[in-house]
Amino acid sequence: MSGKKILAVVKREYFERVRTKAFWIGTLLIPVFFLGYLAIQIATSSRAGGERKIAVVDLTGRLAQPLSRDLERQSREASPAAAGEEEGTRESRRRRRDRNVHWVIEVRPVEGGLEATKEALRQEVLDEKIHGYLVLDPALLEKESAEYYSTTVSEFVALSQLERALNRIRLREKIQARGLPADLASELEKRLDLKTLKVTEKGSTEEKGAGIVTAIVFLIIMYSTFFMYGFQNLQGVIEEKTSRIVEIIISSVRPTELMLGKIVGIGLVGLTQYLVWCLIAMNLSAPAIAGFLSLDSAGMPRIPFSLIGYFILFFLLGYFLYASLYTAIGAPFNTNQEAQQLSMIPTLMIVSAMSVYPAVMNNPNGTVAVIASLFPFTAPLIMFLRTALAEPPLWQILLCVAILVASTVGVAWLAGRIYRVGILMYGKKPTIPEILRWVRHMPGKTLQPALGSDL
Amino acid sequence: MDAVIELQHVSKIFGKFPAVDDLSFRVPRGIAFGLLGPNGAGKTTTIRMIMNIMAPDFGEIRVLGSPMSRETQNRIGYLPEERGLYRKMKVADHLYFLAAIKEVPKDKARERIGSWVDKMELRPWLNKKVDELSKGMQQKVQFIATIVHDPELLILDEPFSGLDPINTALMKEYFQEFRARGKTIVFSTHVLEQAEKLCDEICLLARSKKILEGPLRDLKRQFSRNLVHLSVDADPGQVAGLPGVVSCQTVNGGYVVALNPDTDRREFLRQTLERYPVSAFSEKEPDLEEIYLEAVRVAGLEETREIA
Repeated sequence: MSGKKILAVVKREYFERVRTKAFWIGTLLIPVFFLGYLAIQIATSSRAGGERKIAVVDLTGRLAQPLSRDLERQSREASPAAAGEEEGTRESRRRRRDRNVHWVIEVRPVEGGLEATKEALRQEVLDEKIHGYLVLDPALLEKESAEYYSTTVSEFVALSQLERALNRIRLREKIQARGLPADLASELEKRLDLKTLKVTEKGSTEEKGAGIVTAIVFLIIMYSTFFMYGFQNLQGVIEEKTSRIVEIIISSVRPTELMLGKIVGIGLVGLTQYLVWCLIAMNLSAPAIAGFLSLDSAGMPRIPFSLIGYFILFFLLGYFLYASLYTAIGAPFNTNQEAQQLSMIPTLMIVSAMSVYPAVMNNPNGTVAVIASLFPFTAPLIMFLRTALAEPPLWQILLCVAILVASTVGVAWLAGRIYRVGILMYGKKPTIPEILRWVRHMPGKTLQPALGSDL
Repeated sequence: MDAVIELQHVSKIFGKFPAVDDLSFRVPRGIAFGLLGPNGAGKTTTIRMIMNIMAPDFGEIRVLGSPMSRETQNRIGYLPEERGLYRKMKVADHLYFLAAIKEVPKDKARERIGSWVDKMELRPWLNKKVDELSKGMQQKVQFIATIVHDPELLILDEPFSGLDPINTALMKEYFQEFRARGKTIVFSTHVLEQAEKLCDEICLLARSKKILEGPLRDLKRQFSRNLVHLSVDADPGQVAGLPGVVSCQTVNGGYVVALNPDTDRREFLRQTLERYPVSAFSEKEPDLEEIYLEAVRVAGLEETREIA
């Protein structure tokens, strides 16, 4: 092995990629898309806010007024300052959401029978004069039910607000009916906030869900880089073959050195991309993003160092494993199309890791999680996820790293053998038995397929 | 004389079919050596084995005095038959990269690339991508890439195939210059006329086997069929009647006369001068193509005899 030659290959792979416009466009667009996606999510969910004009057909004749008052009071009092509540609790988050909805209640009398009234209101809804209408029917209320008619029935924020208001009024009504003190109602309305705390070796820290979101974001980043940069290895090998440069290169560099140089160079491109994203995130600064996404700063994920450490560790292990595999798959073929069939193998492996991840989320130390984090091709993603969710036993982490190192060496060795023979194969697409023969082939022994055009 | 390349009983078998069969030859230092033969004779396989891109199944190869090693690799310039460049790379970057993988120090690389680029008038193209260059320009880049580390041995597989006339001339010129500096060139070609002008020694391959090897001059003598060019004021009948003449043909106003193998050419000239006015007389050497055809014929005959 010659360090100088490998370094020359690494530098070429790295700079030729990092210098392209495509790299920078990709690197800058991905965070833009990501933030844009979040912004759209938030924008659409706060569209739940705004004015809600609904009609109420009150057959009981006594619920419409208190409902209207309750909803108006809700809108006024929802600001955290007014409520005087602690930041970051579930209640305060809910209140802030509620603040955005302004209810306008119109009480409609029943004219010409209930069905006729409903028909008239239906027309108004369709004409978009009102958002919807609520029918309070004593017979239904008896069965703890009421009916709301609208063109959209999936506005969860607004609907749950309406539902809660109705429940409150009903609660007060029932308390009054039994002759109990009125302030009992507000006492009964208070809900318990279940805090989730993550138990670690170092004690317990409060987990607000943000940590899980961070872990999943990191998981998705790792997952997509395995794809993107793994596949670039395959394309790189094929490109060298189609451009016929490879024979010139291997008259100076050993095939193993070329392979190693390419894998490292492309991997560094991936790390550069991460670095750029880190810098962008730091410059925008967490509060700015939080403000932009109108999250409270307490809800902003604070990324623990251990998470970053594990991310880099499992990214590197997984990347080397997949890059070797993609290289081995690219080497025998001359076009991406030819390689497509076999390149499904690593693709499916990466995807399979993502398919078990909900099971791992539910039980980070369960059997599925343990098996998936020790099987080499799902291990990098799953073990990373486990370290983010719960603390897996140290021996499992060490075993996982050992398995990954061993399988990377194994796959790289295999890839090296296929690569050495494959990069000189032009012409006919080799069959899988032929490729397997290259693996068994010892240098200096007879090899089946014809090489090149001129023998 | 020390050998730059030495092959001993080298064979390479693809499946059941030998691509190179028991090949031995040695290339002395400082000459131009031609590996000749038709397509499919085993030239590329031989060259790839010399370059250690492929390992021989049998036999031994020594290059620059030892089996191929990294150190020797850096002293060789190699131009494969299937050539190419990274298409998206800038010309300058590409040349520096190829120098780097031959472990040429950066300042030396700059100096050599600079002088070659000027010689080949490539300077305006240095910051262009390989893609944007014409085929002829790309050939020049390829050529610089082959010699950027100032190798002592050049191994070129079909160096003239696909070259335009200007680059062919450049290549031939560099050939002479390179050899004049005491370096060795090994190249393969199936165009025998080119080899005839450039080679000091040759090795002829046909159907995976060596059929002939040696200095070109010796081979020409060996295969000479005692032919002479004769310009003389006499009609064909009179020439045919001269002592020792086997046959005679009219060529360009003169005659090509085949003499009896025992006839001494000086004696023939003396006798001709006594009878007719002679304006020109020269020995006609066989050209490489004639030697090749004759050698194949002889090899073929020997094969049949072995079978019988």
